[in-house]
Formats: sequence, C-alpha cells, structure tokens
Amino acid sequence: MRILTQTSLYYLLVSVVVFLLGSLLFYKHLQTEIYDEVDDQLFTDKENIIQYIREHNRLPNVTSGISEAILVREAQHSSLKLEELGDTLIFSSYDEEYIPFRRLTFTAFQDNKPYEYTILKSLTDFQDLFESTMMAMGWIFLMLLVGLVFVNYFINKFTWRHFYETLHMIKQYSLTRYSPLQLKHSSTTEFQELNTVLQAMTDKIYSDYLNLKEFTENASHEIQTPLAIVSNKLELFMQSDNLTPPQARMLEEMAASVSRLARLNRSLILLTRIENREFQEQEQVPLHLLLQEQLEQLQEMVELMGLRIEMPEELEPVWWVMNRGLAEVLVSNLLLNAIRHNHEGGTISIHLTKSQLRIINTGAALHNSPEELLGRYISSSQVSGSLGIGLALVKKICDLHQIKLTYSYADQQHHLLLTFTQSRPVS
Amino acid sequence: MKVLVVEDEQALRESVVTYLQQEGYICESATDLREARIKAADFTYECLIVDLTLPGGNGLEVVKLVKENNPETGIIIISAKNALDDKLTGLEMGADDYLTKPFHLSELNARLKSVIRRRNFNGRKTVRAGRLEVFTDSAEVMVDDRKLPLTKKEYFLLLYFLSNRNRVLTKDSIAEHLWGDHMDGLDSLDFIYTHIKNLRRKLLDSCGEDYIQTVYGLGYKFSC
Repeated sequence: MRILTQTSLYYLLVSVVVFLLGSLLFYKHLQTEIYDEVDDQLFTDKENIIQYIREHNRLPNVTSGISEAILVREAQHSSLKLEELGDTLIFSSYDEEYIPFRRLTFTAFQDNKPYEYTILKSLTDFQDLFESTMMAMGWIFLMLLVGLVFVNYFINKFTWRHFYETLHMIKQYSLTRYSPLQLKHSSTTEFQELNTVLQAMTDKIYSDYLNLKEFTENASHEIQTPLAIVSNKLELFMQSDNLTPPQARMLEEMAASVSRLARLNRSLILLTRIENREFQEQEQVPLHLLLQEQLEQLQEMVELMGLRIEMPEELEPVWWVMNRGLAEVLVSNLLLNAIRHNHEGGTISIHLTKSQLRIINTGAALHNSPEELLGRYISSSQVSGSLGIGLALVKKICDLHQIKLTYSYADQQHHLLLTFTQSRPVS
Repeated sequence: MKVLVVEDEQALRESVVTYLQQEGYICESATDLREARIKAADFTYECLIVDLTLPGGNGLEVVKLVKENNPETGIIIISAKNALDDKLTGLEMGADDYLTKPFHLSELNARLKSVIRRRNFNGRKTVRAGRLEVFTDSAEVMVDDRKLPLTKKEYFLLLYFLSNRNRVLTKDSIAEHLWGDHMDGLDSLDFIYTHIKNLRRKLLDSCGEDYIQTVYGLGYKFSC
C-alpha cells in the first residue's frame, strides 16, 4: 500500500473515531441541557399552580394542547404522589405517531382535599432542534473530513515527491551502465539525508566495482608476462640434451599446465573486454558461412571422435548483425562444446533459420542445472580439463547481441537454441 | 642475420635472445624506448621484435621510426595487451605480425622466419631440408623435383617443423600453431598424433628417411 493511501486511511480512521465519540458526548450533553430546561419549566408550572390555589383557594383552569397539557384529577389519600418526574409517549392521532413528553406528577391540596396534577410538556421541539443540530454537525464534520483528507493527500504528495524521485532513480540504477548515481537536491531534511546516504553508498559500491573490474583487468594483463617467461624458459629447458625421461615428462606436464593457464587467462580477458563493451563495431555476419568455416577447422576433432554431422548440404544464407570476431568465438565455442560433450560415434545436428540457430548433440546428461551451466566458472566434472568458460563466453556474447539462449536436455541430447531478437532488420 | 629485440622484461628478453641465437641469428636487444630508438637509428636489422608496453613510451614509436629509416625491416609486435586496436594500428603502421603474450618461442621463430622469407624479395622463397624443398609462395613441397602431396594441415605442420629444426616441439605448441584458439579446452591432443603419423609416413615413403622423431615425454623433433 502506498504511503499516501496509508496515511490517508489512518487519518480517516482516527477522524471517524473522534467523530463518533464527539457526537455521543455532544448528544449526551445536549440531552442533559434540554431535560434541565424542561424540568425547570415543569417545576415553575407546579409552583404557579400551588401558588394559585393558595391565593384563590380554587383550582386553576387546565389547558390541554399539543405542546403542553395540565391534567388534574381527585386523588385517593391512600395513593398520594408527592412528586414524580418521568418520560412518556403519547399517541397523536393527527401525526399518527407517538410523541415524546416530559411529565411531572404532583399532589396539591385544596380544602384538605388532594388533587393529582400531571403536567406534560412536549419534547418535539427540542427533539427537532437536537436533530437538526446533530445533522449540521455531521455535515460540517464530513466536509472537514473530506477537506482534511484531500489536503493531507496533496500536501503529502508534494512533500514526498523527492522521495519518489529518489526511488525512481535507484530503481533505474545499474552498476554496469558506468555512471554514478545523480540524485536531485531535496528541501526536506530527511530526504536530503536519505539522498546523501544513498549517494555515498552507491558511490562507494560504484568505485569498489570499478576497482574490482580494473583489478581483474590489470591482473589478467599482468599475468601474461610472467606466464610468457615461465613458458619460454620451459621451452628452452626442453632443448637440453641430457634430460632423463621422468624429467622430460615433468617438463611436458608443466608446459601443458602453463599453456592451459594462458588459454584460461585469455578467455578471462575476452570476457572482461566483452563486459567493458569494447566490441562495438557490428556488421552483417554470414552465419551460414561462419558455421561451415568453423566446422572445417574442427574437422579433425570431429573425425577423431567419429561424430556424424547432420547439416543440410547448402545452409540457408543467414546474416545476423554482430561483431565479426565475437561471432567467430560464439560459433566455434558452440561447436567445440557440442564436440566435447559428445560420446564417440555420436551426432551433431545443426539447424539454421532466419532468426534461429539450433545445435543438438548427443551426450550424457549434466549434473548442473541449465542456469549453472551458463555461469562463469562452472565446469562439468565428466570431461576432465574442460575449462568451463566456453559457455560463459557464449552467454556473454549472446547477451551483448540480444540473442536469447536456451538450453534443454531430452532423449539423451543437448539442445542449444539461439534466437536472434534484435529488432534491426536483417537483410 | 641481425635481429633487434625490444623488451623491458629481462627474463623474457633473455629467453628470446637465447633461442634466436641458437637459431643462428645475431641478436641485439634494447630494454627501453630510448635505447631502442638509438639502436634502430644506428644499425640496420633484418627484423625487429618489439614489445608495445615499454618504459618511456609506446613501442609503436619504434615501429614508426624503423619504417621511416629502413622500410625493408620486418617487424613483429609482441604485447601483453590483446587489444584489437593496438593490433590494427601496429599492422597499419607496417608491422608484419602480431603475437600475444604468452607465446611459444618456436612460434615466434616460425613467424620470424616467415617474415624474413616474405621480406627477402630478391632471394628464393624456398626452404630446404635434406631432399625436401618447400616453396612457400605456392605452398608446395618437392622431393627431388617430385611433388609431395600434402594436406593443408600437413603442409603447415611441416613448415613449422622446418622453421624449428632440431628443436623439441611440444604437442601444445603444435596444436596452437595449427588450430590457434580453436583447441581451447580440448585436452585430448590425439588428433595431433594422427597428423604427425600421416606426415611422417608420407615423408618416409617419398624420401626414405624418418625426419620426425618422438622425444619421449616431451613432443617431437625434426632433424636432418
């Protein structure tokens, strides 16, 4: 729930509670006042009647109306009511409803004869007054409430706007876009503090990220020279005449490991360079020719493993907009992968259409999940010595060119599907 | 044949110089840009092997200088940077080849010989070894004026062997020479064995001599 909705709702809730409580208190208060007033009138009437009897020694005339009535009857000595106050409802035949009355019953004596007087006063007027007052109160309160909620909403919206701007900026922020976060200045102290903290935090993360990237880059480059030295010295060492067979074997293994390290490092550098977006130049790359070219390069390995390549004699001419060098790396890695994760006498089938390249090869299932498979440093344990960086490169190159890469395994076959999603027209 | 090696890393420079001297080159070396400039200006070299990242400046300056003074000199750039633009600039300036560190000395040697062959306009562009004669222009191999039919890979393999005669070549360096980066992650080097076996048989059939020897534990050696 948005903060504005939330505060407005709380506002509403509190207002309703205050309104209800206030109305109740107001009602009680008004009622007490009205009853006091009516009771005063009743007692005054009573005094007047008793006074009248004392002065004139006869009973006063009684009246009977819709708003007021005085009833009198002879009372029995046995059941004398000295004074009794109460509420009563009297049916009005005109209005066809019960009307509330306040009633005072008392006994007056004339020549020692008791008379029971009942004075009735209609409460309708007061009731009407009370109702209209309450109604007015309600309206005022409602208007006030709506007004307050609106004002609150807009004021909040106005004061929170910097917060929403900041939120938007952070949502859009990406480390790989290589620009520090730029937040707008806010006049609200809290938001300005938030911005300052965020700015400092992202600046730190950004510089750490740059440092790390730079470090990786430098490390990979710096490693090249010592690697070159080791590799060259080993080569010179190998030319020695009096090497014993175990020494020679050790030297060979060392040389092989150094070569492997060198290749791994080269791939890492390539990955970093792709991440750095150093391959901006793009052109129409003839994928069909590239596939044939790379297959030719890998012919020996295909023959050695006794693999069967299932591919139409003439591939449909397909051009994808890509970086030429990266396209070569992509295709050769895909094919190498299909060869490496195959078994002897297996097959590799290649299907190429305008927007899709599908490579299917036989091979044992992998232990890793497809997501892991495309991660940077995962290598399958089944094929010893595989660098596991090939598919990571494939993934990076695909990402760069907006090619969708999907992997699936079915019927003991690996399916790698590349879908070209770039919107640019491919002619 | 005089070669100038410009490389600031002492160990690396020494390796290159040692290897090339064993190949019979007269090798001079320079450790920084200043020394390289002086030597390049004072002497004429057959070939210049230059590192791009040097103390005092970019190795490309030496390339430019040598090209101006003596256009006949072959130039091979070695660099730790695999930067494509460096490579392009270097080749545009007239460098003949570009090697990325780390490299095999045998590979550098093969490239150097190839550059010198190409630069040697007046001389014959052939390589002789025993009864073999390789015509690098037409990529043909003759044995006593009879053509020896070789596949493309076998031809390059033979040329690589001839460039590094009497040298032990590891399977790794052969594989990298023939397939470049394509052998990335392929540790089974059996297919090299197949090629060597075929080449060996063809040479044996045509010359009656077994030039290629297996050096136990290390690799192969071509001797004649």
